[in-house]
Amino acid sequence: MANTACFVIVGRNNSPIYESEVGNAPKKDEAMHQHQFILHAALDIVEDLAWTTNTMYLKSVDRFNDLVVSVYITAGRTRLMLLHDSRSDDGIKNFFQDVHELYMKVLLNPLYVPGSRITSPYFDTRVRALARKYF
Amino acid sequence: MEPNVSIKSGCMIRVAVLPVGEMPAAHLRDYVAMVLQHSRIDLSSVSSFYTEHQKSPFTQQPWEKGSLRFKFMVGGAARSPWEDFQAQRKVLGVIGLCHCPLSHDLGAAYDQFVAICNAYPSAQTKRCFAFHPSDAQVEQDDKKRQHLVLFPPADQQTLEFHMHTLMQDFAASLLMQFESWVLLAEPVGATLTTPLDSQATLNAEEVSKAKKRRLCRVQKTIGDYCLLAGSPVDANAHYTTAIELARLTGDVFWQAGAIEGSICALVVDRTGQKDQALEEEVKFQYFEVIQLYRRATALIFELEAALKLARFLCRKELAREVSDLLTGAVESSKNLTDASDRLVLFVEVARIFEAVGYQRKAAFFSRQVAQLYQQQGSRWAAMSSLQVLLMTAKSYHIQSRSSFLKGCCLVFLGNHTFCQVNDLYSLLKWKSSQQPLTDENRQIFSIDVGCEGQWSTLQMDVLADTLAAAVRAGDPLAAWKAAAQLLRRHYPLITPSSQVSLAYALSSVAARLPTGSRCSEPALPFIRLHLLPPLPLQMEVVKRTLGKKDWWAGPSSSGPFIYTPFTSKGGDSRDNEKVEVTWVVGEPVQVIVEVANPCAFEISVDSISLSVDSGDFEAFPLSIVLPPNTAQVVSLSGVALSAGSLVVRGCFVNLDGIVSEHLFEDIEELIVDSMKGLSLGDPFRSAGGTKIRPSPCPEIVVMPPLPLLVAQVVGGEGAVVLYEGEIREIQISLSNAGVVPVVEANVSLTGKQREHVISVGHNLLQAALPLEPGAAVLIPVKLKAGPPNSELENGLRSVHGSRVKVPKEGNCPMLIIHYAGPSQQDRTVDRTESVQLPPGRRVALPLQLHVLRGLCLAQARLLSMEVPAQISRSLPDPNSCKPSSLESAVSLVRMDPYRGSWSLRLLELELWNATDVLFEITVGIKEKKVNDGNETELEAECLYPTTRIDREYSARVLIPLEKFKLPVLDKALLGKTSPGRESRNKLEERISSTEKQTKKDFNAIIEELSSRICVKWHSGRNSSGELPINDAIREALQASAVDILIPDPLTFGFRLAKLTSVHPADYEDACDHHVQVDGENEPATLKQTNMKNSVLAREVTPIEMLVRNNTREAVTMTLSVTCRDVTGASCLGSVGEKATVLWAGALNGIDVEVSANGEFVHTFALCFLVPGEYTLLGAAIIHHATEALRPQAKILQTDNSLEPLCFSGPPFGVHVAGTS
Repeated sequence: MANTACFVIVGRNNSPIYESEVGNAPKKDEAMHQHQFILHAALDIVEDLAWTTNTMYLKSVDRFNDLVVSVYITAGRTRLMLLHDSRSDDGIKNFFQDVHELYMKVLLNPLYVPGSRITSPYFDTRVRALARKYF
Repeated sequence: MEPNVSIKSGCMIRVAVLPVGEMPAAHLRDYVAMVLQHSRIDLSSVSSFYTEHQKSPFTQQPWEKGSLRFKFMVGGAARSPWEDFQAQRKVLGVIGLCHCPLSHDLGAAYDQFVAICNAYPSAQTKRCFAFHPSDAQVEQDDKKRQHLVLFPPADQQTLEFHMHTLMQDFAASLLMQFESWVLLAEPVGATLTTPLDSQATLNAEEVSKAKKRRLCRVQKTIGDYCLLAGSPVDANAHYTTAIELARLTGDVFWQAGAIEGSICALVVDRTGQKDQALEEEVKFQYFEVIQLYRRATALIFELEAALKLARFLCRKELAREVSDLLTGAVESSKNLTDASDRLVLFVEVARIFEAVGYQRKAAFFSRQVAQLYQQQGSRWAAMSSLQVLLMTAKSYHIQSRSSFLKGCCLVFLGNHTFCQVNDLYSLLKWKSSQQPLTDENRQIFSIDVGCEGQWSTLQMDVLADTLAAAVRAGDPLAAWKAAAQLLRRHYPLITPSSQVSLAYALSSVAARLPTGSRCSEPALPFIRLHLLPPLPLQMEVVKRTLGKKDWWAGPSSSGPFIYTPFTSKGGDSRDNEKVEVTWVVGEPVQVIVEVANPCAFEISVDSISLSVDSGDFEAFPLSIVLPPNTAQVVSLSGVALSAGSLVVRGCFVNLDGIVSEHLFEDIEELIVDSMKGLSLGDPFRSAGGTKIRPSPCPEIVVMPPLPLLVAQVVGGEGAVVLYEGEIREIQISLSNAGVVPVVEANVSLTGKQREHVISVGHNLLQAALPLEPGAAVLIPVKLKAGPPNSELENGLRSVHGSRVKVPKEGNCPMLIIHYAGPSQQDRTVDRTESVQLPPGRRVALPLQLHVLRGLCLAQARLLSMEVPAQISRSLPDPNSCKPSSLESAVSLVRMDPYRGSWSLRLLELELWNATDVLFEITVGIKEKKVNDGNETELEAECLYPTTRIDREYSARVLIPLEKFKLPVLDKALLGKTSPGRESRNKLEERISSTEKQTKKDFNAIIEELSSRICVKWHSGRNSSGELPINDAIREALQASAVDILIPDPLTFGFRLAKLTSVHPADYEDACDHHVQVDGENEPATLKQTNMKNSVLAREVTPIEMLVRNNTREAVTMTLSVTCRDVTGASCLGSVGEKATVLWAGALNGIDVEVSANGEFVHTFALCFLVPGEYTLLGAAIIHHATEALRPQAKILQTDNSLEPLCFSGPPFGVHVAGTS
């Protein structure tokens, strides 16, 4: 089964600090942009939802054309957003938790300016590995 | 599907509004606007036009509170297949609009109107409004045209009033039509069908079922009309019946329609009292409606119902519910077959999301709408797509702050699609009209922009879509904007090839725009303020302090201390001064900006000029070409035209004929972002990083016109090359280039090496004032080069002969001229107020002096030379050399009074010419001349020929010291000095004050002498100077003068004795001549002298030898006389034939004792046998020399004290003439 998944970390100033296509579906440029548009649009709902719950994992918050947006929100209002077709909640939750840990490690880097893009190739490979593991 | 549906749309009467005849768009807009004002007409105002023909079926009509609502379909509408299902979908009225001045034939226009009306069979009320009819048209009007209404020509207000009345009339007639329809509606004949009803197969059972359903449908339709007539209570009654009937007959679709109608009636009935219960009721009912529609497989109505509910619930608190509804609607829209239905749905969804505050969701669906439009492929669709995309720009933070504030532009849409496009456009514009831009909003938005990051992937995508849509829509300006934004904001993410194609798109789009079009969005290149240079040193403005003569000096420090820490507390006060920039009206200024092109293509900017916030400013444009990936620092200039203050805001850039303004603050934001890591790249990276953050452009003070002096060194290139000691006068030209005369001016001198400048022509400058604009004055400045610049010297040493090194600016003396214009304000402004003087200015002219090493003095020595004296009747008289004597002043040689010989003293200067030019040396004497009591120094040029020193040669210059009238040292004085000097240790106690005085005198003499010698040089045509060698001369004199000037202890002299055989007469003559020509070098006179002074051969000549003791002790000595011929052989020693000289008297071993300062005369006679030149020499041997003589002797002989001392006198020449 070809799974489409787009993973984006959105910083607190609503700009993406990391983005990757983690699915193994054939990549289409246009589709990738569309994915990001969907994720961007879901931010409105995330903002509302964040105040109604005290869990970090918000489950699926939005959907468009069979694609579901799952969101994990950190204490620092950084949002980990995953666009995927329907899948088990557990895998996604674990994925989010592991990526959160990785993100913490990036934050601990004294040379990293919070809110700026994550350019570390190590982070990228690790995220992709996690995506392979859970999806 | 229909756009803009809401729960209340069930009570809206649909009226088509159409232009009739020729109708310009502008007029149509005005007329339509007039009609649209009356979308709601109160029943109370309708009542006056209403006549009750029969008993009204609307028993519960609320005449006081109720109203009729209209929905105007501008441009008409297609006939809906669902007209029977919902009465509000019918077009129930038609309004024609006619612009009479353009439709001359009213009849034809009316015919056109009638034809239009035929397309709307359901329309029962028709009006054709004709505006601005001419008198002829009014006459033309006959009663046949029942629907034509002519508006009398009047102003807008009156027209609106008429329109108001006519619309009330229109509403009344519609109401009456509804009444008649309801009264006539009989369930028997009515056929109410929908596309859902299958008409093909009507079996018996279905026919009977249909009959039952008909009653329900009629009830529902009556309810619709009641609702349209503004009577919700009546409507509700009918709907309730209809619902019951529909439930019985299982007519699901109509049941849903009836429920919808009843909800509408409920809501209209309770207008203004929206409470929780109503909301719950509506929600509950609508969920049922949606379920029913779903069962009836009426997808469109299901979606519409969802949208209606969502719009009803549209509140921030219920956002989640609304969002779920809409998401569900979008989800089910996958089954929609018609693209336009989906379009409408997305438009509606976007609008509702926007209303609920979900901007990003709205933007997302707007983009979906744009994409659907783009799929249509027509130009109009592309235009709509562009409009929609432009509206999403804000949500994706594409719009820059400046362009957002300028508001969105309205694009006129063509006539025939006016309805459709306008409809959608107005829908989408709804939000912006709802929230007019207030200052508060602006502020909020700008804060938003500041903290909101960029999702560049999305932005690029939207921009690319915008560009594509704009190109297809034929909107070059929008295309240019989009391409510019893409390039400007996202160039790091765009591949070079795409960049090039974007650049191509930019230029091709620009070609379609008229040149000089303005665009709010700046494109490339990036421009930032590099430096705002203060006025150059030549034009500096100085504040004038009132009532001070030296006004440029600034206020003097008050208080007793020279230094107070408060006045010179550097730090911030200096920073403030730095920021202050002053410009003067009418004078060109320059601002240095940095222009960067980080893209992969070449940018050729047609013109770039400064843009100024306020104030009158004329900028001078500049055109530049920026190669790929480069940055340049460009100096932009301009002229301020009026006094005041201004801020340089940015630059106007003309790129391919499109003018846009690049603001400095925008670029600073960008740079700050890139420093924070938020932005992708720094365009100025190639220019050397962003470490220096430019300060924001300060406010610049523009001064009223001031005078402007231009100072210039005449000739040369401003630099003066001088040799050491050179004296040169240079001219400095001062011209007033301003428009105000210079009234006061003052020259002062600062900087290093000020000593080079001897004098400045202050008087000439003062005399030339006031200097009118355009006038010029020349001031002479006299320079005298001091010691050479050490740096240059080093440079010369390393690179010999080439003057490559230029001294630093600060090393030069600076001529600073403070000047000011007239202070006219003195008269106009009241004295009591603080009088503000117009500021003065300062011009600084660095005199670039390069002092080169010229001649160097290698050595200076004092030489002495002896010339044998001629024997004569008298001894050479020491007194004859006194300064009073004219003869000695002319003569080079003078008699040494203590040696008895003619001696020549010369000062030898050895000079080395290290330069590469030729020097000529002349020696001069400065003479003091008393002139009217003032002692002035004059220079007397010496007559000696000049000495030439070639390059890299050295030469010796001899200066005869006779010229300098070395005063004769007193005999006694010397007598005193010599013992004091010779045995200092022993005689120290004897040194009296007089001796000290003597030494002082001696030094003073040397001092005076050295100061009077002036060695001048010339080189080339115009460089001349004086060698600064006074010190060297003094040293030379002091070292050697003592040895030369100190007299010998013994003086020898010879003279002819008085008794002689020479004829007395001849002798007298000889004496006379001797006086005049003694010592002359010239051959003629020498011969004469020889003739007169000569001794005849073969005659006995008595000769006296004088020996003088110059010491202060008596000396015992043994004298001897020798005579030598020209070969140097002694003549006296030989006897017999060989003897050439015979003698009488003692010549050897004459023992005498001479008292202190005494004289001894020894007489003898000689007889010369052979004529010729002879030399007489006197000598003395002192056997028991005293200490006083010893040091003198040491000079001549060995230092053995036991040996007798031997002194010899100077040779005396004897010329023996032959007897003829």
